[in-house]
Amino acid sequence: MRVLVISPEAAVFDGEAESVVAPAYDGDVGILPRHAPFMTILGEGILSVRHGGQTSRFRVQGGFLQVVSNTVRVVAEHVQGETNAA
Amino acid sequence: MAKGRALKGRIKTVQNTRKITRTMELVATSKLKRAQDRVVAARPYAQALREVIADLTTPDLAQQFPLLRRPLPPSKGGPTKAAVILVTSNRGLAGAFNANLIKEARRRIEELEAAGFTVELHAVGKKGAGFFKYLKRPLAADRQDIGEKPTADHAASLVAGLIAAYEAGELASVDLVHAKFVSALTTPPTTVRILPVEPPADRTRRPDYILKPNAGAILEKLLPLYVRNVVFRGMVETVAGFYGAQRTAMKNATDNAGEIIQYLTRTYNRQRQAAITQEISEIVGGAAALQG
Repeated sequence: MRVLVISPEAAVFDGEAESVVAPAYDGDVGILPRHAPFMTILGEGILSVRHGGQTSRFRVQGGFLQVVSNTVRVVAEHVQGETNAA
Repeated sequence: MAKGRALKGRIKTVQNTRKITRTMELVATSKLKRAQDRVVAARPYAQALREVIADLTTPDLAQQFPLLRRPLPPSKGGPTKAAVILVTSNRGLAGAFNANLIKEARRRIEELEAAGFTVELHAVGKKGAGFFKYLKRPLAADRQDIGEKPTADHAASLVAGLIAAYEAGELASVDLVHAKFVSALTTPPTTVRILPVEPPADRTRRPDYILKPNAGAILEKLLPLYVRNVVFRGMVETVAGFYGAQRTAMKNATDNAGEIIQYLTRTYNRQRQAAITQEISEIVGGAAALQG
């Protein structure tokens, strides 16, 4: 599935991934490929994206997470950490 | 010969000016590139936000949110105050760029005042603030700290007070005047209404989402983000537009200087030639008189 991590200033991550764990407002949510359309509010914490055997971690705060047609968009107000826009 | 020396001095001056304008043109070009990259980089966030809000907004939900609700007109007891945010640059030498933004803002202020509102003006950038100070119009906010790299936090601090005032029913509307970055050559001043929020145009097919906690709670969080993002984008586009306008202005100045130099050099050479010719004819005349 395609994963995008987007902050107001730029897209921080864009690529294929096997799983995403994101800090939702009420606890972590895990997303695997072919997830049903889903939307939730993000809280504050560590977002990890597993892709090709490695894991990218970002500190995110605020915003939302949207899953639609096998694309996960993590749209956060603040994103810190790795900046490898593949 | 005194005139010749004066001409030489002027040629030097114009050459120096041309050196400066050419350097500024080059600097503006490279800064334009970076500012343009920021405009492009900010697009995915804006698009994601717009799509999601379009997906979630339904007419009955819209009534619940103060940010989406249209206030009553002043004649029916609604708020009589309206806010205008004007984004300009901190620096000049960009042709009519700032003047056009200020003109657009004044037009909008006049419109609002004609409709019976008192307008409070929030200025971003030194040029806009300077102009309205000169007119002795009080500014509700004067932000000159933002400069050429606006961040989402700048936008957040700018609109936080306005969102609160709007929710409290003190403001009837908030408009943003900024330069839209169409291309480096076209940066028309634009007014967008940021409050009440115009929900983005609906898409025909919305996915059947699982929503946590529910559409209302998500919208409540996202609407302020949306307002902030519109302002953020306005600022980023204005910066890019400014450098575009500055580059054009400096290019014109450089070209003009070149023309002036050409004209002055020609005049100077013609004069020099005339002086030499005159001297020769004087000598020849003198010699002929002696021989005769």
